[in-house]
Amino acid sequence: MKFEKRRATIKQEIPTTSMPDIVFMLLMFFMIVTTLREVTVLVDFSLPEAKALEKIENKRLVNYLWVGKGDKIQISDSFAKLEDIQSIMYAKRQALPNIIISLRIDRNADMGLITDIQQELRKAFCLRINYSANVKI
Amino acid sequence: MAFIKRRVLRSAEIPTASQADLAFLLLLFFLVSTVIDVDTGIGMTLPEYVEDVETVEISKDRMASVLINESGDVLLDGQPISLFQITAALKPRIQSKLDQPKNKKLIVSIKTDRKTVYNAYIQALDQVKLAFFEVRDEYSNSKFGRRYIDLDETEQNEMKEAVPIIISIAEPEKVVK
Repeated sequence: MKFEKRRATIKQEIPTTSMPDIVFMLLMFFMIVTTLREVTVLVDFSLPEAKALEKIENKRLVNYLWVGKGDKIQISDSFAKLEDIQSIMYAKRQALPNIIISLRIDRNADMGLITDIQQELRKAFCLRINYSANVKI
Repeated sequence: MAFIKRRVLRSAEIPTASQADLAFLLLLFFLVSTVIDVDTGIGMTLPEYVEDVETVEISKDRMASVLINESGDVLLDGQPISLFQITAALKPRIQSKLDQPKNKKLIVSIKTDRKTVYNAYIQALDQVKLAFFEVRDEYSNSKFGRRYIDLDETEQNEMKEAVPIIISIAEPEKVVK
């Protein structure tokens, strides 16, 4: 029983007062990183895969254009017709001069439609585009 | 001094024990709702729209034309080629023009049929981009001993001068039947 006597009487506790601070820091990080998805995607699409990918540096500049199965085109929250792309995109470009259009196109879409869309984008002066693709491993 | 003595020291503290729990709750919410979907893709810049397209003759030597038909077969300068050989075929051609002035660099033109599947186009574009990227990497390795992405901005710009990525998406042709 001698052992018990010799045991140190120092409190053995990890100080937890700074734990909220650490958690708040984590919280801040996630709050900043989070982009709540503001649009619901109405079209059905699967992106192609590619290797030579670039990241879009500035998310604020990005506007999406979806082309899903059955040649449906979606801009923002609703379907759009091919003829409407020019006016919609021109308005968007007025608000945001160096806008990047991210084209999220189904891998089985026809190039004819894509060329038409690109022509419309050119007419709307939205010249920076990005063919969205997943990373091929 | 008697005044001070008479003051009763009440402990008026907000209990902070649950603060961590609250913070954790908020943290969990943001963890769950976060979509870190990194936007990756192949960046391109379209040419401005002009009504009447002026055609400029470009010497055959400067031009590499990639044609993709509706069944996904690829022609590189008239020669049938497999999709995955495009990078290897283009690289020496880009490299041979490293020291040339800017208006002599290689132009890659990609042309598709209206019925070509988008995926085939992206695969071809990917191969072409890959060729340019690999040439850039090799050139910067030989010059600076580092890869292109590790260079600083002025060096990167120098690389961009030496190996500009010029890809032309062919104008849609009016089909006469």
